Parts: sequence; C-alpha cells; structure tokens
Amino acid sequence: MTADPERDLTISRVIKAPRSVVWEAWTDPRQLEEWWCPKPWRAEVQAFDLRPGGAFDTLMHGPEGEKKPNPGSFLDVVSMERIVFTTALTEGWRPAVPWLAITAIITVKDHADGTDYSALVKHADRETRDHHEELGFYDGWGTCIEQLAVIVEKRT
Amino acid sequence: MDNYQPALNNVFHALADPTRRAVLRQLTRGPASITELAKPFDMALPSFMKHIAVLEESDLIRSRKTGRVRTCTLKPRKLARAERWLAEQRVLWEDRTDRLAAYAEARALKETTS
Repeated sequence: MTADPERDLTISRVIKAPRSVVWEAWTDPRQLEEWWCPKPWRAEVQAFDLRPGGAFDTLMHGPEGEKKPNPGSFLDVVSMERIVFTTALTEGWRPAVPWLAITAIITVKDHADGTDYSALVKHADRETRDHHEELGFYDGWGTCIEQLAVIVEKRT
Repeated sequence: MDNYQPALNNVFHALADPTRRAVLRQLTRGPASITELAKPFDMALPSFMKHIAVLEESDLIRSRKTGRVRTCTLKPRKLARAERWLAEQRVLWEDRTDRLAAYAEARALKETTS
C-alpha cells in the first residue's frame, strides 16, 4: 500500500504483547474504549459490526459535555491480520459527509518481541481538510490539539 | 519548496517519540532547564540529551547555556497550514498507538502472571 507523504500517515510500533492480545484490544469494543481517546475525552462505542460494510461508530465525550460522533464502516477485515475502516462511508456503504474523511488500514503481524503493528491513515484532498478546519473542529478537540499547538506556536 | 519534505520528515521523526512529545508539551508552558525537563523521566541524562538533540535538529526547540544551566525554549515555527494539519493528525495517531501498545502490553503481562 503506497502512502502519499502530503496527506497520508504511517504509524508503526512493536508492541510487546501477543498478536491475539493486540487484535482483541482492537476488536473488543469494551477494550477499544480504553485506549481510543485521549483523556479527559472518553470513547463510547456506538456500533462495532466487524465485517465489510458493518458499522463502526465511536462517540467521543469531552470533559465539558461535548459529544463528537464518528460514524463510519469497516471495508475489509482479515481476522488477526488486517482491519480497514473509513469515515467516508457508513453502514451498508452509504456515502457520508464526515467532518474528517479518512481511510485507516491497520495491520498486525507476528514479531520476535510480540506484535508488529502499523496504521496507515489516508486523508482526502487538501480542500476537504481545509473546509473541515474552517468548520471549527480544531477548537473543540482539546487535549490532542493542545499538544500540537506546540508545532504551530506562533510566538514571536 | 525544495526543502519541504526533509523538514517535515524531521518534524514527524521528532513527534514519533512519547518522551519528545512530553518535552514539547512541557515547553508550551514556557522555557525550562534540561534538569526540569528530564525530571519526569526515568532515563539516564545522556539518553535524555539525545531526545533534546533530535528536537533541536528538527528545529522545534532551541537551547541556550547560561552558566551551568541549559535552558530550552520552544522555537517559533511557522509551519505551513498543510504541514500543520498533517502534523496534528500524526500526533493524534501516534498518541493513540502508544495508548493501544500500553493497554495491550499491560494486558499481556497480566495474563502471564495470573
């Protein structure tokens, strides 16, 4: 799978846990809720139908009572190997207009120290993301973005 | 634009590590000495200094020595809007992956000890 450096991200880690444990942490909704969101935000899995076209929806609860739904669907699932999901389509492949369109390709492989985990996250074109930025998404995202403020610091 | 990609890669490399992200977060609150910055980490000073060096090389911070104290400051860096957007997404996914790793590793440990 090729990544476009201007709009895609590849994140990988060697996780010191068996592949089955990593797979479960991802595919058991109760476990996913434990790590999906940065504190003080909290994730609530609304739908998790792990099959192509099945719904995947995490509702993010913010510390001030904010609610951010993330409806999407799975595109491809190979047990213990790969999960592909998108926010551009919802259940049954219905086209959506999400606040952030992504396709994420998650792969897990055995590794001498546990599991070789990687996430390739693909984004839509720049116009789309600029539009979403204008919608004010970044004002509400709190923790995540606060950390990032770092890079954008414009102190002069 | 010729330098766009290498520069961005350096920033991403710098952001890929939880220690370095924590240092950047700390510096958003203002300049701090190496000693203060190193305090939360259970890490030998030479290892910590390597992280500081990566951050300096990526142009995210600068450090200055006054007497025996080296102070780090966040460097004003005007990332283009497109770079900023992707950098934000990267931190989000790097952090998420760290949380997954920590969660799965704790669980694996629990399974082997019980």
